[in-house]
Amino acid sequence: MSTVLQSLSTELADAVESAGRAVVAIHARRRIPASGVQWRPGVIVATHHTINRDENITVTLPDGTTAPVSLAGRDPSTDLAVLKLAGQNLPTAKLRSDSPPAVGELVVALGRPGPSVTASWGVMSRVDGPWRTWQGAEIDSLLRLDLAIYDGFSGGPLIDAAGRVLGINTSGLARGVPVTVPVATVERVVTELLERGTIRRAYLGIGTQPVRVPESLARKLELEGDVALLIVSVESGGPADRDGVLLGDVLLELDGAAVRDSGDVLAKLGGDRVGRQLAARVIRGGQVKTFQVTPSERPTSRAA
Amino acid sequence: MTASVAGGLAHELAAAVEQLRRATVQVRTRGRATGAGVLWDAGLVITNAHVVRGERATIELHDGTAAPARVVRRDLRRDLAALEFEPSGAMVSAVIRDAPPLRVGELVIAIGHPGNLVGAAALGIIHAAERAGERRPRWIQADVRLAPGFSGGPLADTAGGIVGVNTMMQGGLALAVPASAVAAWVRRAHAPVSA
Repeated sequence: MSTVLQSLSTELADAVESAGRAVVAIHARRRIPASGVQWRPGVIVATHHTINRDENITVTLPDGTTAPVSLAGRDPSTDLAVLKLAGQNLPTAKLRSDSPPAVGELVVALGRPGPSVTASWGVMSRVDGPWRTWQGAEIDSLLRLDLAIYDGFSGGPLIDAAGRVLGINTSGLARGVPVTVPVATVERVVTELLERGTIRRAYLGIGTQPVRVPESLARKLELEGDVALLIVSVESGGPADRDGVLLGDVLLELDGAAVRDSGDVLAKLGGDRVGRQLAARVIRGGQVKTFQVTPSERPTSRAA
Repeated sequence: MTASVAGGLAHELAAAVEQLRRATVQVRTRGRATGAGVLWDAGLVITNAHVVRGERATIELHDGTAAPARVVRRDLRRDLAALEFEPSGAMVSAVIRDAPPLRVGELVIAIGHPGNLVGAAALGIIHAAERAGERRPRWIQADVRLAPGFSGGPLADTAGGIVGVNTMMQGGLALAVPASAVAAWVRRAHAPVSA
């Protein structure tokens, strides 16, 4: 009698079955479909990188039927997309938002790359604080997985052994390495995409490169740190250009905070900063200058 | 009580593996270990066709006894081969799971002989299962990492019931011939071996 082993097996299969009822196949690219999760009634969350068209998107429901969906919005920076599904009686995913997953916790990744649900299992290999994607979005916590990626992995849910959703899986945010976008981030992005259709992010239109400020200059200007950001590109007609930022300026501080890499700049460019003045402190011609810059709303697929 | 659950799990897993090893054989052709086989019935071993290229092979049972065997049936499309040998005394044969149908997420155990290891075990879950009313799939797909020496060996559930014969890895997934398909093939193509 192997009771514990068989119970574990049954519970895993139960978890897959119950959570799988909210997982759909998304047909929005050639060849293999990707996955999506009914996150709220009538609202399907999927991954941006697996949706290659904005129209003629369909989903295959767990009962095998196909239904049309409309794209409510997408956010390349978190690799999430939101689709609207009307008139279907599909269960909504049970979210686990009270306690974050722990390193070593048994997890299952679900997908539906066709009519049937698929699963791979493993453990949480890393759980960490907030991190920033290369396109500048803040993800509430870093969730890295030790499990295999299969067709349909992206857009599927990561579930715990009780079938509760811990986030949306994607291989599109960290160079093919599987990561999970946690529930809190998905909630935030879904709310904003449903309201506005896009994720507002402020942008300045600059490219930067970290540089070491010579010690003598740092002493002369009474600077605290020795690393700052050299402005290596200024987008013509962009917000920074309009506000007088020049190529070759060395950015020390933005909005009162020292900047040591592009992430520090992005941290100051949340959606609420659009149209609000930020103080920029720069070295120009051997002198420290402070002036105001006003970010505008970032056009799609621009970084900073 | 968490520690006792994990402890019980480890103990039961080891017991399940030990039971499966008894129904698993090594297959050798021309002196070389070529894979694993399932002790399907007294005097009958099922393995992959690609494990036994010639007409003759040697099988080695769990207890270390070796026996000459001959290939009595081969199906290249299903990658199956049936080997007959002279059974010596009573022996364990595999328990085949007919029902219930496999569920996605269910735990599965594979036994094989990768590299120099004999009777190695791998644990995984069912990755995909057939849907009701759908044509039976040609392969069971399992999320379990297998090496070449697992070919021809059993894929079993936690109760020790054989659900498939491990055949290959494809795209990170283990593919196994469903036990029901093997059983049908044995019934259809293989005359009863034990009188």
